[in-house]
Amino acid sequence: MKILKWMLPFLVIFLSVTVSMAEEADTIDDLLRMYDETTCRDCHPDQYNQWQESFHARAVVSSLKGMNNFFAIGVPKEWERKITKVEVLKCLDCHAPVVNYASEKLAVEIAGMIINAWTNKDEKAKKELSRLNVGCLACHNIKATAPARGLLGEPERGTIYTPNMVISPAHKTEPVNTMNKSLFCAQCHGRYVSSDGEQIMCNTLSGSYYNAYVSQGGSETCQDCHMKKNNRGHLFPGGHDLEIVKEGIGFTAEIRGVRHTVGKWIPRAIVNVDLENRAGHRIPDG
Amino acid sequence: MTAKDNKGRTYRKVRSYYPIGVDLDGYMRYGAWQIKELVDLTLQPRTVQKERMIFEFDKSVESADVTVNVYYYISGKKGSIIYTKKRHLVFE
Repeated sequence: MKILKWMLPFLVIFLSVTVSMAEEADTIDDLLRMYDETTCRDCHPDQYNQWQESFHARAVVSSLKGMNNFFAIGVPKEWERKITKVEVLKCLDCHAPVVNYASEKLAVEIAGMIINAWTNKDEKAKKELSRLNVGCLACHNIKATAPARGLLGEPERGTIYTPNMVISPAHKTEPVNTMNKSLFCAQCHGRYVSSDGEQIMCNTLSGSYYNAYVSQGGSETCQDCHMKKNNRGHLFPGGHDLEIVKEGIGFTAEIRGVRHTVGKWIPRAIVNVDLENRAGHRIPDG
Repeated sequence: MTAKDNKGRTYRKVRSYYPIGVDLDGYMRYGAWQIKELVDLTLQPRTVQKERMIFEFDKSVESADVTVNVYYYISGKKGSIIYTKKRHLVFE
């Protein structure tokens, strides 16, 4: 009893440390409170407004079909597994990285909401899911250090990681040299390795970027074309934007009419077309 | 691309560039979780894809309208024309 009395404060300290290290949200409200982005919007309205128009802002609701298929067919029927957080994160680690901080229960609930939103066209579930996306903190915190975890460590809650050297007085700012590199985007726009080792290649931009563009002397980064050029910023236009699609594809065509083959003089149209891929990756890709 | 001759007959030729939903062993791979390696028919970076197509008309055809359209499909259902070139040909 005496020993227990002495140990009690240590037990309490130990337990509280364990709880704070493993802080997980049980509801989407709690999750979004943990990673609140309203202050980002208030101080950086231009970037926020651009982002709102981007596909990053609707990364869950614009991909319901594929995720529904995974959670309703792939996991339970093809793999004969239960839906767990590990399975949920195979989609949402990229489509809504904040779900990394969801409890097991909430992660499974989110998968259920995705199935419901797609299969039953449940607008309430879809509205709730629209709050999950690739938000400010997905890049500027949750995923910021991952390409160089050994050097930079785990992301620190409340710190804003940035590729710029401007230190904001409004929050703790940590300049990192990972965020302006293609490898940063390739975490999701490339071959993805999940926590259990499953390799997912639902889009493979980085493969052709490194192996067919950089290897051929290409030197522009994802950020150069999709953010810096034409002040695209946080709109990150891609395949859904015809302006950037046309920028990436050069086109010439020559159409000529002839009659040939001596003695027959058959009319023919000869069409020569050149399509130049001017992008830093294969076209199309995701 | 299409060619329509002065007799009202339409000819069509298509070239498509995309990663087909079939893996290197020939199995269908449509689900995101199933995709590991797909047969790659995309346009490769820093390269020019050259195509030559020949429409052969009936001997009596005197003219034809030839149109080359380049479509970009963001999904199987949604495509947009990004380039067009047309020419009216007269066979003398």
